Amino acid sequence: MITLRINGLDVSVEEGTTLLEAARFFGFPIPTLCYMEGLSPYGACRLCVVEIGEGPSAKLVSSCTYPAEEGLKVRTASARVLRARRMVLELLLASCPQSKTIQDLASAHDIRQQRFRQEYEDCILCGLCVRMCEEQMMAKAIGFRNRGEKRDIGTPFDVQSDVCRLCGGCIYVCPACQLRCTYTEPEKAICGGCANLIPPCLEKEQFDDMMCYMNPCVACEIDKKFEKK
Amino acid sequence: MLRLSSVNQLEELRKALSAAVDENTPCIVIPTGTCGQASGAGDLIRVAKREILANGLTRKVRLRITGCHGFCQMEPSVLVEPGRVFYPRVGLREMERIVHAAAKDKVLTDILFMDMETGKPVEKQDDIPFFSKQVRRLLSWNEKVDPIRIYDYIKAGGYSVLAKVFAAAYPSWVVEEVKRSGLRGRGGGGFPTGLKWELLAKQSGNGGKFLVCNADEGDPGAYMDRSVLEGNPHSIIEGMIIGAYGTGATEGIVYVRKEYPLAIRHLDVALRQARDLGLLGENILGTSFSFDIGLVKGAGAFVCGEETALIRSVEGKMGEPRQRPPFPVQKGINGRPTAINNVETWANIPLIFRRGAEEFAKIGTGNNSGTKIFSLVGKIKNTGLVEVPMGMSIKEIVYDIGGGPVGKAKIKAVQTGGPSGGCIPSDMFDLPVDYDSLAEAGSIMGSGGMIVMDDNTCMVDVAKYFMNFLKDESCGKCFTCRKGTQRMYEILDDISRGNGTPEHLELLKELADAVKDTTMCGLGQTASNPVLSTLRYFRDEYHRHVIDKKCGAFVCKDLVGASCQAGCPLDTEVWRYVALIGKGKYEEAYKVIREVNPFPSVCARVCGRKCETRCNLAVSGGQAIAIRALKRFITDRVDPAVYKPVRVPRRAKDSHRVAVVGSGPAGLSAAHYLSLLGYKVTLVEAADEPGGMLTSCIPAYRLPRYVAEKEIESLLDENITLRCGTALGKDVTIDELFKDGFKAVFLAIGADKSWRLGLEGEDTEGVFSSMQFLKAFNLRGEEMARGHVGIVGGGNSAVDAARVAIRQKKVKSVTLLYRRTSQEMPAYAEEVEAAIEEGIRLETLVSPTSIRYIRAAEAEGVKVETFVQPVKIDAKNGRLADIKCIRNKLGDVDSSGRRKPVPIPGTEFTIALDTLIVAIGERPDSDCLASMGLELDKGGRLRVDAKTLGANRKGVFAGGDLVTGPNTVVDAIAAGRNAAAVIDRYLRGKELREPPQVKLPKFFIEPAAVSDEGFEDAARVEPAALPAKSRRKNFAEVETAFSVEEASREARRCLRCDLEFTRPKEDKEAKCAAPGEKSA
Repeated sequence: MITLRINGLDVSVEEGTTLLEAARFFGFPIPTLCYMEGLSPYGACRLCVVEIGEGPSAKLVSSCTYPAEEGLKVRTASARVLRARRMVLELLLASCPQSKTIQDLASAHDIRQQRFRQEYEDCILCGLCVRMCEEQMMAKAIGFRNRGEKRDIGTPFDVQSDVCRLCGGCIYVCPACQLRCTYTEPEKAICGGCANLIPPCLEKEQFDDMMCYMNPCVACEIDKKFEKK
Repeated sequence: MLRLSSVNQLEELRKALSAAVDENTPCIVIPTGTCGQASGAGDLIRVAKREILANGLTRKVRLRITGCHGFCQMEPSVLVEPGRVFYPRVGLREMERIVHAAAKDKVLTDILFMDMETGKPVEKQDDIPFFSKQVRRLLSWNEKVDPIRIYDYIKAGGYSVLAKVFAAAYPSWVVEEVKRSGLRGRGGGGFPTGLKWELLAKQSGNGGKFLVCNADEGDPGAYMDRSVLEGNPHSIIEGMIIGAYGTGATEGIVYVRKEYPLAIRHLDVALRQARDLGLLGENILGTSFSFDIGLVKGAGAFVCGEETALIRSVEGKMGEPRQRPPFPVQKGINGRPTAINNVETWANIPLIFRRGAEEFAKIGTGNNSGTKIFSLVGKIKNTGLVEVPMGMSIKEIVYDIGGGPVGKAKIKAVQTGGPSGGCIPSDMFDLPVDYDSLAEAGSIMGSGGMIVMDDNTCMVDVAKYFMNFLKDESCGKCFTCRKGTQRMYEILDDISRGNGTPEHLELLKELADAVKDTTMCGLGQTASNPVLSTLRYFRDEYHRHVIDKKCGAFVCKDLVGASCQAGCPLDTEVWRYVALIGKGKYEEAYKVIREVNPFPSVCARVCGRKCETRCNLAVSGGQAIAIRALKRFITDRVDPAVYKPVRVPRRAKDSHRVAVVGSGPAGLSAAHYLSLLGYKVTLVEAADEPGGMLTSCIPAYRLPRYVAEKEIESLLDENITLRCGTALGKDVTIDELFKDGFKAVFLAIGADKSWRLGLEGEDTEGVFSSMQFLKAFNLRGEEMARGHVGIVGGGNSAVDAARVAIRQKKVKSVTLLYRRTSQEMPAYAEEVEAAIEEGIRLETLVSPTSIRYIRAAEAEGVKVETFVQPVKIDAKNGRLADIKCIRNKLGDVDSSGRRKPVPIPGTEFTIALDTLIVAIGERPDSDCLASMGLELDKGGRLRVDAKTLGANRKGVFAGGDLVTGPNTVVDAIAAGRNAAAVIDRYLRGKELREPPQVKLPKFFIEPAAVSDEGFEDAARVEPAALPAKSRRKNFAEVETAFSVEEASREARRCLRCDLEFTRPKEDKEAKCAAPGEKSA
């Protein structure tokens, strides 16, 4: 067992526990976007930053990837953490303003304005879908491409992947930007689960093994289970 | 190649290799790194080989091809051993000569390196200031070794420390030794190498441990690792063998970026040779120790220099960092313990063991031992790689080794550490270069890039450049790094386009801090440094962009427009009239000039030509358009009557009266524009006629009197009343003016009081101030100078005085005494040159550029001496007899960025003089203003608000030399024109400040069709000058005007920077569809 202090409270957790897991277990809320139980932590959204250490060596780290260390002092909501978190949310809001999840988070953190030029992106590159595809669906159909400004998610060369089972898991886990669902455009390379029914939702025998989590189907809002009956 | 099976065999091999070569045979060393190859070293090798073979010199001369020696500015260079003679910038012909000279043990004195400061050639490489001030522990190996010949390395003492290392009782001794040396990681972070090794040694070795050489050098402007890899790859291999022995590592990896093909090739060869010789692989040198090194080529992502990203890249995955802990030393490549060190760190390891840890630690400062290689690049005389002890000050590196700024520019800052580093301003150049001091100053050591910036560099643009780099090179994993760098770039781009607001600066700071705090790896955490450090040290530059909408360095295009126009204090549309001249529309061109400048003919002769210094042709290394000469062409040709000024009609009730004190260029243009706006103006002038400096000081050979008088005459209209012979303070006061019913007063009394030397005997007969001397001649025709004349000073009035003096009848000789070099003279260079042509002796420090002038002077029988300053004035019979001078040398750099002249004791000498003219500067004669309740500064200048020109008394405005100190005519005209606009607003009760406006070119002028014929060698056309002989003893105008042919040719050289802004839309879009622009 490892003993550490979270927000002044001495706690002990099992070795290998991350700071996020520890904090949440003991009731300290930390907002996240790219974290999901069952998927390996990634540390992309930077919302879960917490402050560790003391004095001049204190620093912010992403709690989802940082392992609990003996004697570590953690603050999950210090002024520095909140300041950073608000800036992260402001940036998120500027990029994906139409996401309900981000709007709610921003509202909860009392963000009333965003000062950057408005963009309308449909992805925050949290990587949940990539990890879902790889770790849970064992498919590795999609992944990150390019770097920096040009980074995006997709299949190699934008060709529909052979290993994609059209499960829709990538859409299901998307935390912020359900807009990624491409509805009825079968040529789109990512997921396109429901959309690949041609015509949508009518002849689906050939897709019986499809495991779309979108229920009801976001494309035509017809409950597939219901139709099956 | 024979495989060595013991340490003894290695030593025997070394002895055999040394015995085979006579070190006294001359050896030609040709540095052929990437920089050398790019500048033609490959051809030199071919020529050298051919010469040696063709002349049968193989026994007399040796040839060695090596990596870069560091002095990239002088590539391709050649070094001849054993004399260590250095030949810079060698051509093919010279190469032939060098081969023959080397065979005969001779030195070619005509192509040696020329020392800029002493003007003398330097023979030995080690005596060149660039080299002599370095401590070249690592780089000197690049001279000794042919990188693709392992025998060269062994002969020079390479791999010798393996014996010592393998003989150690415990491997931990190796780690201890490195710890004792105090070596810190040269990759930028500065983590103690010994400590890292100790951590690795402690890890259990089951399954192997890795050592990695990080050669993913990606900082813009940094290439020291490349030169070590290219020039001395075996030092890295040797270092890694030692490291592996000490830490128990089993496998080594050199991670090089694919962009370094030569380095990869050399490394490949070196690794193969080391393996063949038994220095790598199983049972090295017959011991039980085995270790091998592999080469991994990176695809060239900046982020892969970060160690966790590098590990993923080596594993074959996407290069993106991960959270530490676990640290690579615990869990690295394939989950195995891994220690990663930079190229330079590895190259240092053999040195530690060769010299011993204590000896190694002697160089450098406390916590920072050893030397560090920097790549010194940017706006500096000597660019190249420099190796200096840790803790040397930036000043020493930049000025002593780097040779200071190029030309007259002033060094503003140094950027260290590449995109992750920051900018250090010149007033902090005493800062020692070590890890801790740089971090404290908001920068980092980084891998050793050092980019020097002068006042032609815009700091906003610098920050923008690095953000642009980082937004592309961030891996994109962390949201704040990816989006943060994009947003910082966006804000900086807005600022550089004139769309910035003060709130933007706050947001930028807040964002930069957040990015620094919340990102995962080193790249993100340091990505804000360029922004934060420029915000910290150059906030006023940001403010200029945001508030004044001006870019002081003329870099940000959308704030500058055409740089000639932006450079002109009057905002003259230079591009427009130059284009019109090219099309033959002379009258229109005249109107463009006259609209903003009431003194076109005067400015066509005496303008300071800021437009030409800013001309993009000149800035990009060519010759500026001869703008002033073109203006002269127009004003000589066109009748001023073609311009009809627009007058604002005023009702009688409205027409306030304004007093303008001083009728120099500032006063006259203020009066003119006020008159156009419908005000009644009274011009108060102390002298008997209007004109100020134009008529009293500027000599007639530069500005013929009739030209000035005609132009002044044309400005005086019925709204302007002239009151000559009325001096402010003596005949009239400001209070009286207000009492007389003037509603506003504009003060433009100029600066015509000479500074004094502060020496005894300055009041002796025969000693004059330059103003006294010039006025006496220009206004009264009195010739004060006689016999041998000495002039102290280097400004325009000194040169004017000198040239007036030499034209006076009783003058035998004229000597100009300046305390610095002629390069640094504040006078316009061509005036200095002209003065020397006319036979004026110039006593300055001899520098290469001045040599040209001085040689011209020598041809006229002038004796040349080095630079001097007077210390004593001697009188005989109440009249000047001689002055005592002392010689100076260059000392430290002062606050103006120039080297201070320091007197050399014991070098006093006497010059016999009949006349001494003191021209060390002027100040406003403004003592009377203080008593009128106006605020003055130390130099006697009136303090006014920079924007509104308002003094600390309501209704009193001032401009010209009174405010700025001695300045150019064109600045004075600009001040007068601005004052007219401000006074107009004041009298109409409006807000005095106007919102800043960016003046971009508006009018489209079809570019003239230019055929390639005859324009291939488009050199600047200089207006002809009267020959020096026919200028003597008369005041005929020296410069002549262009012919039509010359003018049109010169005008068509213009690059037409305006077209970018004025070209019709569809045309523009078709030509430059901006790529990568994101729409909001």
